[in-house]
Amino acid sequence: MPGGVLSLSGLALQEFLRAVLAKGASFRFKARGLSMLPFIQDGDVLTVAPSPARRPRPGDVAAFCHPETRKLVVHRVLARRNGGYLLRGDNAPESDGLISFQDVLGRVTRVERDGREVRLALGLERRLIAFLSRHNLLQPLIFRASRMLRPLKRRCPV
Amino acid sequence: MTISLDAVYAVSDDVVAREIEGEIIIVPLVAGIGDLEDELFTLNETGRAIWDKLDGRRSLNEIIKELSAEYQAPPGELEADVLGLVSELARRRMLVAV
Repeated sequence: MPGGVLSLSGLALQEFLRAVLAKGASFRFKARGLSMLPFIQDGDVLTVAPSPARRPRPGDVAAFCHPETRKLVVHRVLARRNGGYLLRGDNAPESDGLISFQDVLGRVTRVERDGREVRLALGLERRLIAFLSRHNLLQPLIFRASRMLRPLKRRCPV
Repeated sequence: MTISLDAVYAVSDDVVAREIEGEIIIVPLVAGIGDLEDELFTLNETGRAIWDKLDGRRSLNEIIKELSAEYQAPPGELEADVLGLVSELARRRMLVAV
């Protein structure tokens, strides 16, 4: 086939996502950024399902169009409010504010890292993560956990 | 896959195609997923000219004649290009016979 494999970003990526979702299909793409660490890492491949199939609930990770930057963002739903969702990255210092329903494109249903599915943070534990994030408890907890893990890594080099 | 020059093809409903910065970008929807990571395609100039005419109304023969007139190219050369591209797109289920 003439041409080759490409990668899309920014508005082009968003336009494709909207077009794919409009057909009722899911889309799969590579995440960029650190705002969802440690559960979603830079370079993880995400699958996003269209929202009408099941509207995002607190704890779900959702893809949305940021109302100010118009960029595609993938963050966690903390709460549903009148007119939209309150979202925040697991590693973000503050929430994204209220994001209107129409700006939320879909819900992350699968995370892949190095070709393998990563299940952490999309199961039942997602509600606990959202609760902790909403009360500003998630980042201190992750920070303490990461400090505890470092010596173990040094002791057990693989 | 054998492709007849009398056949008429159209872009499948299971394809999302958009023109971005002058290039046609194509994503097939396979098993209900548009895979922007591993299945994202573009077409070169010749492929784009053929793609634009795959509208479900013109036969491949008619497309070759039109392209031959537009680009002043020998129909024999264009036939190989058209059959090659249509065969590949049909194999990937990005085109459907009408």
